[in-house]
Amino acid sequence: MSIARNQHPIIKQLEPLVATLYALMAGMLFCIILAYFLGTGSFELISAIWEGAWGSPNAAAATLSKLTPLLLTGLAVSVAYQAGLLNIGCEGQLTLGALSAACFALTASQLPRLLLMPLTVLVGALAGALWTLPAMWLRQKRGVHEVVSTLLLNYVAIYLADYLARGPLGDGSAMARTAEIPLESTWRAVCSVGTIGVTAAPWAALIAMCLVHVWLYRTCGGYEAGACRSNPLAARAAGIPVNRRQTRSFLLSGALAGLAGALEVAAVHHRFYAAFSPGYGFDGITVAFLVNNVPGWTWLSALLIASLRAADKWLQLALGISPSTILVLQALLLITVASRVRLPVPGRTRRRSLLGHLFGYPEQTRQ
Amino acid sequence: MAAFQLFLVTLGKTTPILLACMGGMISELAGVINFALEAMMLTGAFLAVWLAFVSGSPWLGLMGGALGGMLIGLMHSLACLKFRTNQIVSSIALNLLAAGATGVLLNQIFGVYGTSPSVAKLPTLRQCISESLPFVDNGPAWTSGEISILAPLAIALSLLTMAFFRWSVWGLRIKACGENPLAAKAAGLPVTLMRSLVVLTGGALAGMGGAYLSIGELSAFVEHMTQGRGYLAIAALILGRWKPLGILLAALLFGFSEAFSEWLAVSWANLPHQFFLALPYLVCLAVLTLQIGKTRPPSSLGRL
Repeated sequence: MSIARNQHPIIKQLEPLVATLYALMAGMLFCIILAYFLGTGSFELISAIWEGAWGSPNAAAATLSKLTPLLLTGLAVSVAYQAGLLNIGCEGQLTLGALSAACFALTASQLPRLLLMPLTVLVGALAGALWTLPAMWLRQKRGVHEVVSTLLLNYVAIYLADYLARGPLGDGSAMARTAEIPLESTWRAVCSVGTIGVTAAPWAALIAMCLVHVWLYRTCGGYEAGACRSNPLAARAAGIPVNRRQTRSFLLSGALAGLAGALEVAAVHHRFYAAFSPGYGFDGITVAFLVNNVPGWTWLSALLIASLRAADKWLQLALGISPSTILVLQALLLITVASRVRLPVPGRTRRRSLLGHLFGYPEQTRQ
Repeated sequence: MAAFQLFLVTLGKTTPILLACMGGMISELAGVINFALEAMMLTGAFLAVWLAFVSGSPWLGLMGGALGGMLIGLMHSLACLKFRTNQIVSSIALNLLAAGATGVLLNQIFGVYGTSPSVAKLPTLRQCISESLPFVDNGPAWTSGEISILAPLAIALSLLTMAFFRWSVWGLRIKACGENPLAAKAAGLPVTLMRSLVVLTGGALAGMGGAYLSIGELSAFVEHMTQGRGYLAIAALILGRWKPLGILLAALLFGFSEAFSEWLAVSWANLPHQFFLALPYLVCLAVLTLQIGKTRPPSSLGRL
């Protein structure tokens, strides 16, 4: 958004990349400042983050396993944002998606593998999508902002899942978890990094990302969803049913978040347990906004956030500083990038960004 | 007696939500979306404990709570009004920042994880009365329940806010900033400055709400101790339709549902406890569903 309208298309395409690089540089700067306050060397802090995320094959595998849910929740947030909505409820949608996937796999265990495996994932996505419906209804019929309703639904979903995992759907142990899902419904490792097997789940998430990107930028449906964000009044005047298009985007967003939960169950944990998500839903917001809500670049920011997240325990082990440092770093990144995105407001200031000066068309050709 | 006890607990549970909600209301009436109430409360709760720990006085701690909220308010207004960040995104980032920073500072300052060492508490209403009016023996009967002095203060503050927005010129001017900033600007008001000051004041109120949690109810800071009360406050804001009286009622409703669920958890112990934890959120969703007609936020909410 910061780059003026008539710039070279390639520059415009690469803007999320530039934003991420900018975030990386800002992140380095924040690391230096934080290290000063925490009383460690700044180089030690940065190298500890690198070490914790990519230092050993096992660490790399752990980072990769965090990539899948982050990529999908980031995608969920950006799909909703591209239709003019903000989905803060990924946490709840992910939790319920995971729970329903686990339940479905347990009850339908006699189905053949070819049917059971995809159906498990689909049921999770469906549950996530359904959990967004109350929020949409409240928005369209009662004028309640979706940010508030999805947040409240998060709490309801998490407590509901907690109750179900401890009580009726639990495996009878005191661990607050369901029984292990049958082997036919799980994803098997296709290769191994270090001692940990990596399944095809990250690839599935990447394929989902490409599909969403193509849908959003290359099809009529995606174009109509985009019109609901950029100018709902004009969209309505042009005959686009704005409410229905927004509902569709929000359902897709919930489905992606539910898919993230289902994949966690089917490919990583093989069961559902209480307090399932370590904040993947909220991290999705950071992932989406780091690349300016362009779905096709979500992999990059998801990789960045996954690396940060995977390193938090290592910070405590190696340097003895609180793992919450990562949260601070993430918040600073988000606010920096979000501020940059809106710096030149269209119609008010006519200042061009540095990139615009370097690569954009000359000033005269502006219309 | 049980009903009276329930009433006192309701008042206690209402206080933080009411204070935060007032803070959110004045900032949203001026046209700045304030989703960072959670961050303001958390920072306020932490700074209150820190200052009370350093100085030994809970009143200085309360001031620290207000300062903590103002700090987040300053960052929010800088990000939104100076750097024109999306106001919801800025709030979310600040919520994340507060959650992380209080954890880091807890470890840096007190050297612990989770819970801070305990500090002096704010006096209860009964203590205040018996101190200032020594001839009243042990306080009148209605103060027999332990209720923090901040609870009546919060209600007084909310009535004051109501009067401010109903009868004062500046109240009207603040509302003008939220309804039509361009007209306000044309009338000669410094819109951006007023908005920043209002966000700061709102931060102070929400920070005091956080201080109530840490040095009014408990006497220590616990990581993530606000537990989504900032979000409940925003829900109360919508439910109260951006009007002080409505907000007082909405905050009382949430306080009551929290108190009631605690009471239910004792008397109906066979129901799952997660139901009681989720009850305030369920009540909120139910009321949002049942309300008649659409709500109307300030016209220029979130626009610069």
